Amino acid sequence: MAAMFSQNPLMNGPNYSFNDAPRSNAPDGAREHRFDPYADNGGSTLAIAGADFTIMAGDTRLTSGYSINSRFHPKLFKIGGSTADQKDATLVLSVVGFAADGEALKERLDAICKMYRYRHGKPMSVKACAQRLSTILYQKRFFPYYVHAILGGLDEDGKGAVYSYDPVGSYEREQCRAGGAAASLIMPFLDNQVNFKNQYVPNSGEGHALQERERRPLTRAEVEMLVKDAFDGAVERHIEVGDGLQMMAITKDGIEEIVLPLKKD
Amino acid sequence: MTSIGTGYDLANSIFSPDGRNFQVEYAVKAVENGGTSIGIRCKDGVVLAVEKIITSKLLKPGANKRIATVDRHLGVVYSGMVPDGRHFIERARDEARAWRDTFKTPISTADLASRMGGYLQAYTLYQSVRPFGITAIIGGFDSPAELPVDGEVGSGPACGAGGKVAGKTHGGPFLYMIEPSGLYWGYYGAATGKGRQAAKAELEKLDLGGPGGPALTLEQAVKEAARIIYLSHDESKDKEFELEMTWISGPDGPTKGLHQEVPKELREEAERLAKKAMEADEEDEGKEEKMEE
Amino acid sequence: MDHRPQAWGRPRDDVYGPYDASYLQTSGPKTATQSPVVTGTSVIAIKFKDGVVMAADNLASYGSLARFTDVKRLRPFLSTSVVGFGGDVSDMQYLDRHLTELAIDEAYEHESSAAGTSGGAPGGQLNAANLHKYLSKLMYRRRNDFDPLWNQVLVAGFDGAGKPFLGSVDLRGTAFAAPSLASGFGAMLAQPIMRRHAATDADAAALSREQAVQIVRDCMKVLFYRDARSLDRYSLAVVTRDGVEISEDERLEQQSWAFAERVRGYGTQVV
Repeated sequence: MAAMFSQNPLMNGPNYSFNDAPRSNAPDGAREHRFDPYADNGGSTLAIAGADFTIMAGDTRLTSGYSINSRFHPKLFKIGGSTADQKDATLVLSVVGFAADGEALKERLDAICKMYRYRHGKPMSVKACAQRLSTILYQKRFFPYYVHAILGGLDEDGKGAVYSYDPVGSYEREQCRAGGAAASLIMPFLDNQVNFKNQYVPNSGEGHALQERERRPLTRAEVEMLVKDAFDGAVERHIEVGDGLQMMAITKDGIEEIVLPLKKD
Repeated sequence: MTSIGTGYDLANSIFSPDGRNFQVEYAVKAVENGGTSIGIRCKDGVVLAVEKIITSKLLKPGANKRIATVDRHLGVVYSGMVPDGRHFIERARDEARAWRDTFKTPISTADLASRMGGYLQAYTLYQSVRPFGITAIIGGFDSPAELPVDGEVGSGPACGAGGKVAGKTHGGPFLYMIEPSGLYWGYYGAATGKGRQAAKAELEKLDLGGPGGPALTLEQAVKEAARIIYLSHDESKDKEFELEMTWISGPDGPTKGLHQEVPKELREEAERLAKKAMEADEEDEGKEEKMEE
Repeated sequence: MDHRPQAWGRPRDDVYGPYDASYLQTSGPKTATQSPVVTGTSVIAIKFKDGVVMAADNLASYGSLARFTDVKRLRPFLSTSVVGFGGDVSDMQYLDRHLTELAIDEAYEHESSAAGTSGGAPGGQLNAANLHKYLSKLMYRRRNDFDPLWNQVLVAGFDGAGKPFLGSVDLRGTAFAAPSLASGFGAMLAQPIMRRHAATDADAAALSREQAVQIVRDCMKVLFYRDARSLDRYSLAVVTRDGVEISEDERLEQQSWAFAERVRGYGTQVV
């Protein structure tokens, strides 16, 4: 039509009317957003399930880039207590990654667990809460909570339970899990020390005859020791980990919180 | 009421042949049944007070406030139907907020009175509504300083066009009373509700409208307000009441331009003085009676 | 030549290229604030024994242009807290108006402020910790809508237990608290100085008001020396249990630019 009469060599069409105007250089009018809604606030978390306890841990440093925003910003939260101080909570959530999403996720899960408690007159089981957390994460599949979440508690048999998640809700019950900046440093250590990977009975043979070291549940003292060692190692090798170590021990008697110093460099 | 009935009192939007809107007059009756409210505009602020009749011993003392804050510098007290008053407050707050939204500056007391006057007047016009069963007293302290616009970032030019005029005064304490008809005037001292006659008589004795402005100070006004509420209280009708008082001073005064409750110590002191004054009056009366004997 | 009426009075396409009318399109994705325009630089604050000291300079920059030089970036809230704004000035104004409205709504439940309880804010009104939480939720919500308020905000005052509180919120809703905080350049230049005096809350609780003010003044000087988007006129706020004092016409005293001579590595000097 009018395009035939254009003198414009580039457009090969008239471009005076706004209706005829080129939309934009980007495909289909899409615009680049300069705002990045995500940030990485560093830090690391760790959870180990024992025979009748679960230990959760996380450092307390909050970073952005090379800056330390705060030396005490907890990553562990008691979930689903009947009051604001969470005195009677039975579950612990750890979140590491983007702190604002972590905070939002924690508040949502806590609200849901509280509602469950009001409605059913009993705290939510770890199993139920774990499934619910997965659903929350998956519901934001296309604008995810940018966090590595770990949920800890005691299961129906009173055994330690640790559930770990990816940002979009894929989850698994595990014996132990490390999350966050130093996950890749801590996880192999845990494989070796908790699940006795690559540990063999000395002089038990060679090649396939080599016997794996017998796996046994760790005691609480052993686990606490492991956690401290894991974080001391992480602090040494990762700049985003440090300042303080927050540990929560979940037993049938409740949740015990311990805060220890870490190197502040 | 002379021409009661005759059908002209059944609807709001109908005048009687002698030019009266009976619904409005009935609304005034509702006000006359309410606990006394007064407002005093004095030299350095405004005091609002209300005689809160205790309708039940099961009500928590000091709760259920009757004087409301409308904007930082504005307070409202009313006599009459409390739910109507609550709605009045809600509307006044909306007006104050809307004013801030458009002009980015607090509404002046006069402007709020005008807006609310117009609002009440509208409730005298239509079949579908009835007038407000309240008379409201609006007290405010308009800032004497040139206020920054809400969210304003700089301080503007220091001189030249748009600069400040030196020595010009603005703002100050203001007091308005709005009746169910929508009629409102600015007052030196205002009273409404049951005990308004006695209260007005007392207010007229105060130095509120002298040529150089009122001489009464804020603290004196608080004490006078307490005394007047105690005085206008009719013990034969209502046994107990609570005194609720708020005040607004200028930016240099005790409330820093904000509408606030009168501090507990001052209120109790004022009440003590009020009770003492009452007792003295009674003694005087007793003496006079004896002398007559 | 195109002789159609819609071409009259318009630059010729063949000479000037096609008119880019893309900005007139109303369809397509919603566009929100995608970058700050007029900006304020660092805000710094440090806790001390009886409260918090905060400072920010009075400059609003338009890119590298020092556009407005009398900008008040520290705002009181309910005369019990102070909010310091860095980043976009128009978003700061929006927040300021929003907080004004919030403060007025708070005043509706009028407990006499003279009868203040131990918890900093009188009569159960919002304290600084509450305000910090509120702002973090507001900012996080706006980032979820992809329409962020382009600010980093420091909130100073007292928490529910009546202890000094200092927190920060950024445009993504990330919220945290610390004994000393600095936004923008201040995080690199001022924070190390402040941490030397207040590494922990216990250290901060040992500082006097005078010490804290002096530390902040020193930091403002360092920032003026090194931050090209800063100004030597600044605002200083001190929050104590008695209320908020903000002075908006502070000046940097006793500057010494002797160090500038020794700065090497960039600029015009060769060696």
